[in-house]
Amino acid sequence: MNGAMPGLAAGIPRQSRRGRVLSRVTGNESTGSLSWLTIEVPGWAEARPGQFALLQAEPSRCFLGRALSISDEEKDRVSFLVDPVGEGTRELCSLSAGDPAWVLGPLGNGFDLDEVVSGCSPPGTSGTTSDKRSRLVVVAGGAGVAPFPLFLSRLADRKTARAAHLEVVALLGFRDASRAQGAIPVQGAVRRLTESGLSCRVVLATEDGSLGPPQRVTDLLETELRPGDQVVVCGPPAMSAAVWQICSKTADVRTWFSLEANMACGVGSCHGCAVALADGSFARVCHDGPVFPGERVFGGYVAPVAGGKEPA
Amino acid sequence: MTTPATPAAAVDRPDLSVRLGPLRLEHPLINASGTMEILDLADTLGPGILGHPPVAAYVPKTVLLSPRAGNPPPRILETPAGMINSIGLPGEGLETFVNERLPRLLALPCALILSIGGFSLQEYASLAAGLHSALKHWEADWPARVGLEANISCPNVHSGCASIGSDPQETLAVVAAIREVWPGLLIAKLTPNVTDIGAIARAAVQGGADAIAAVNTFKGLVVDRETLRPWLGNITGGVSGPAIKPLALRLVYEVFQAVEVPIVGMGGVASVQDVLDFMACGARVVAVGSAAFRDPWIAQDLADGLAYELAARGLILDELVGLAHRGQVSGCT
Repeated sequence: MNGAMPGLAAGIPRQSRRGRVLSRVTGNESTGSLSWLTIEVPGWAEARPGQFALLQAEPSRCFLGRALSISDEEKDRVSFLVDPVGEGTRELCSLSAGDPAWVLGPLGNGFDLDEVVSGCSPPGTSGTTSDKRSRLVVVAGGAGVAPFPLFLSRLADRKTARAAHLEVVALLGFRDASRAQGAIPVQGAVRRLTESGLSCRVVLATEDGSLGPPQRVTDLLETELRPGDQVVVCGPPAMSAAVWQICSKTADVRTWFSLEANMACGVGSCHGCAVALADGSFARVCHDGPVFPGERVFGGYVAPVAGGKEPA
Repeated sequence: MTTPATPAAAVDRPDLSVRLGPLRLEHPLINASGTMEILDLADTLGPGILGHPPVAAYVPKTVLLSPRAGNPPPRILETPAGMINSIGLPGEGLETFVNERLPRLLALPCALILSIGGFSLQEYASLAAGLHSALKHWEADWPARVGLEANISCPNVHSGCASIGSDPQETLAVVAAIREVWPGLLIAKLTPNVTDIGAIARAAVQGGADAIAAVNTFKGLVVDRETLRPWLGNITGGVSGPAIKPLALRLVYEVFQAVEVPIVGMGGVASVQDVLDFMACGARVVAVGSAAFRDPWIAQDLADGLAYELAARGLILDELVGLAHRGQVSGCT
C-alpha cells in the first residue's frame, strides 16, 4: 500500500469510512471456462440484485479494478461469476482461497424487485386476464447470467412474488457447452424458487449447437415472449439491442436492462462508462445504472444490432 | 480495511498545513479536476465523505458556460500503468452549476477550487465573472475559502482550452482577462503537450496567475485490439496514471525553475513516495487523479503517509518543497 500510519490518521475515523476493502478469497470453483469466485468482505453491506463491485487482485499488474455483478451473497461472503476476457479478469480467475483481493461495493442501482413484481398482477385482478402480467422472463447471455442467481434467490424470498403467482422463465444463451456451465449457479437459485412455490423454467441455448440446436438466446425469446411479460436482461450490447427489438414488437412488455461498460471508478466520478440514452443524453452506467428501463436506453427507436466493445 | 487502534496522539503529527495564495489547506493533498464527483460519492459511500473529505481542497469538474453532453463512448480504457480517457467535459453549464451544485459544495468543510474551461477568452471571462458575482453574495471572506482554476489544457475538446494553453500569448491574454474580473486565488492549469512549459508558465504568471497547476493529461491514442481502429469514440484521449509520473515530474521541475509562484503538482500520483517526489521537484500542493478511481480515500492516506515520512526524515514541509533543486547531496556512498 502507501505506507499510511494508523497512529497519524486524522479526519474521519477509519471504521466509519466506506471505501475499498482488502478482502480474502474463500473459494474459486471453475464452472466451465468461467470462475465462481467467493470473497469474504469485512463490513459488506447487503446488496440489491443487479448491483456490482469493483474487484482487483492484490498484488495486480492492472491499474484499476474490474466491475463485476454480484452473483450471490451470504452475509459477508460475496460471490462473482468471472469470465476471463482480459488481464484483470484473468488475474481474478487465478486467485485461490486465502489470497487477498480489493473489493469496492456494492455499487450501482440494481434491479428494483418491488417494481418488477408489482407489474406482475395476480390472476383475476380486475382489468387483467388470468395470464396477463404474471410472467417474468429472464434473458441472459454469457457472463450476463451473473446477476441472476442473487436476483432469483431474492425473488424466492418475496411474499409479493408468491402472491402474484409469478411464473419465471429463464432464457440463458452461451457460445458453447463449456461456457454454458455458467448456468449452474442460476439453476441452484431456481431450485430455491421452486421450493418456495414459484414456477420456474430454465431454457438453454448454445450458439455452436452443443446443447440442442445451434441457436441464440434471442431465438428462444422469439418463441417464448408473450404480451404482458416483464423482461429483465443482462448480456453483451449486441444481445441487449436484439432483445429490445423483439420486446418492442410485442404488446405491453416491460423491460429492464443491466448494461455493461468499461469503468474506471464505479462511483460516478470519472464519467468514463457513459452510454447514450434514447433521448440523446448520456448516462453513467455505474451511478445512474447499471439497470435501466428499456425505453430509456432504446426508446421507440429500434437500434441496428452493432458489435459491442469487448471489456478489458 | 481495519487497522490497529492506536491513540491519535501517540505520535506528534508534523504540521502539514500549506498556503495556496489566500487559501489555507489542512494538508497538501487535493484532487485533480474531473476525477472526483464528491456529491455522487456520498450517494454510494455514504454522507461521511461530505463531513470529512479526503482532500484538503475539493476541485469539481471543469464548468463550462453552456451545458455539454461530452464525447461519444467509449471514453476510457486501462493502459499499462494507467489509463486513457476522452470524457470531453460533460456538464450542466454555469447557471445550473451556480444554482444547484455550488451551494452544496460551499457547505463542504474544506477549501474549494472551481475549475473553468472555455472555447474563447470571452467565455473564460464570463465564467469567472459569473462565479465571482455568485460568491460575493455568499460571504465576505469568500476568497479565503474559494479559488479558481483556469483549465487551459483539456486535450479532449477540439477548440479553446488546450489550444489556448499551448500558446504563451493566448495564455497571457486569457489569464489577464480572468484576472480583471476575479479577485481571488487564480491558478492556471497547464498542458504537458507543449515544447516549453516554462514559457507557458511565465506567460500565465505575467497574466496574473497566483499559482500554476501542472500537468493535465498527455495526449494519446489506443487501438481496438479486434478492429485495429482507434478505440476511443473521440479517437484521441488523455493518458494518466503512474505511467506518466516521470514525464510530469520533469515538467513540474521546469515550471519551478521558470516561475516563483506555488505549484500544484500532479501526474500519476499513487503513493507517498510520489507525493515526496512531486514536492521535491517543486510542488507545494499535490493532486491525485486516476489513483482515486480505484481508491476514493487515497488522498487522506497519502496525507497521513506524508506526515509519517516528514517525521521519519526530520523534515518540515517548507524544506521538502523544491528540495530536488538544491544541488546534489554530498558525501553519499
